[in-house]
Amino acid sequence: MKDRLLPYWLLIPAFIIVLATTIYPLAYSFITSFRAWDLTKSRRPEGFVGLDNYLYAAGESQFLNSLWVTFVFVITSVILTVVLAMALALLLRRKGPMHTFTRIILILPFAMSPALIGVSYRFMFNPEFGVIANGLGAVFPALQGVPWLADPQLAMGILVLTDVWHWTPYMTFMCLGGLASIPRETEEAARIDGASNLRIVFGIILPQMRGVILVMAVLKTIFALKMFDQVVTLTGGGPGTSTETLAYFIFNVGFRWFDMGYASALAWILTAIMMFISIWYVRMLLSERKMATA
Amino acid sequence: MRKTLAYLGERALLALISFVVLFPIAWMFLTAFKQPRDAYSLSLIFEPTVQNFVTVFSEPWNLGSMVLNSVIVATVTVAIAVPCAALAAYSFSRFRVKGRKFLFFLILSTQFIPAVVIVLPFFLMFRQLDLLDTRIALIIVNLAIVTPFVIWMIKGFIDAIPTDSEEAAMIDGASRLRVIKDIVMPMAAPGIMTSSIFCFILTWNEFLFALILSRRDAVTLPVGLVSFRTERGDLWELMSAAGVMITVPIFIMALFIQKHFTRGMTAGAVK
Repeated sequence: MKDRLLPYWLLIPAFIIVLATTIYPLAYSFITSFRAWDLTKSRRPEGFVGLDNYLYAAGESQFLNSLWVTFVFVITSVILTVVLAMALALLLRRKGPMHTFTRIILILPFAMSPALIGVSYRFMFNPEFGVIANGLGAVFPALQGVPWLADPQLAMGILVLTDVWHWTPYMTFMCLGGLASIPRETEEAARIDGASNLRIVFGIILPQMRGVILVMAVLKTIFALKMFDQVVTLTGGGPGTSTETLAYFIFNVGFRWFDMGYASALAWILTAIMMFISIWYVRMLLSERKMATA
Repeated sequence: MRKTLAYLGERALLALISFVVLFPIAWMFLTAFKQPRDAYSLSLIFEPTVQNFVTVFSEPWNLGSMVLNSVIVATVTVAIAVPCAALAAYSFSRFRVKGRKFLFFLILSTQFIPAVVIVLPFFLMFRQLDLLDTRIALIIVNLAIVTPFVIWMIKGFIDAIPTDSEEAAMIDGASRLRVIKDIVMPMAAPGIMTSSIFCFILTWNEFLFALILSRRDAVTLPVGLVSFRTERGDLWELMSAAGVMITVPIFIMALFIQKHFTRGMTAGAVK
């Protein structure tokens, strides 16, 4: 009797934490998303307004802009991170003191606070005394005096750069894990037959890494959708609203304008997007595992 | 000839990667030891000073209280999350009970919820309870982010431990709890240690919650960085000094678990 219930008893502490810290707030914000609640006017939630908050979002240009910004950011950062990580992993899987050294220091960007990364890059791209801004200006005269973070496209580029710098190491470690688990025989046989490196990578290694690459892409998509810290410390959403991602827009609506109803609705739109991706992700993992055990 | 060229190319590439990784970090460390006038020049030759560190630890910046907040919030979060997560991870790993898949899915999917969604209701709740700007508030919300993550990680480590010795001990009459305490946990200790450090790093670097839920008393290090943006402009040399204070402990921890990194991070995700 006691033993039969033990599995549940072991789950209870963690489950209470998850219930109290995520399920409850989620439910709360779901209900709030159907209400009008301007915190500057009222301490308590006002009446229910049905789908008004969601309908309002559908027509608001700033929300639509943030969706577009998020989309551009996610696509570029996911593609760059995954491709770079794969390339790095292929390079780093060999043995050698320099390889080992690079592998060790790769953990540093990942351990660095994203808020601090934003601050550092803001400093380095400062047109007057930024070391990267000046360095690029010295090497390429055409880039002298470019107002990096004051230009919408360049600001987005630097935002992507900070994110790629932060996440590529983690993804490289995932790739290395994946590479270590695929058998080397086919590759060696192909090498003996005189196949070129390119053919080995594209014809033999990458097809076997399909699963890992898929997992990486989905995970990175989720991390990119959540990215928030660097927007605050690097660009502040600017110039204008050119780097205002959905997460940052929700933050503004909720904690600058204190429109709790609208912010909750926006937050749920973001949650819905992420839930959709994560359900797809878990399903994919389950089917991969089935394939692996079959 | 072609071989040496490829060899040199590979070395050059590795050197370039190391440079890209290390340069922003090195620049921050250098700036932290520069006098204000040197911080705004690009020279590598300067008279090093520790004045910036003295400044950030005194009025009005008071980095000391932020360090204390960060240490307390991260430590308490780890101390609550890891034991609870370890028990849950064991249960998920060893028992095939009803509803297990659903529960695991539920816990995993909460990891994908954007923090900004969670913080909104918490802000309202803490306001009602008068808990805004307290460390307790930060610990509670941080648990939301790290707990599912740590369950996932520790489960990966426990899955890798063979069940033979557990079964043998149970046949000898040891209770399940004893088995967990005396056999499983010691074997999973390196994994649990790695997960704890990870959990610590995540909480230490956490920014969004602290930005919204703290004003003055409970401000943590990453949020403290923002306060160096003043009317006089950004005080880069002080920001860098604060940056060094944020990164040094975390870098030491990260290098400490570097070996387990690949395994720990990928165990849950790939398997």
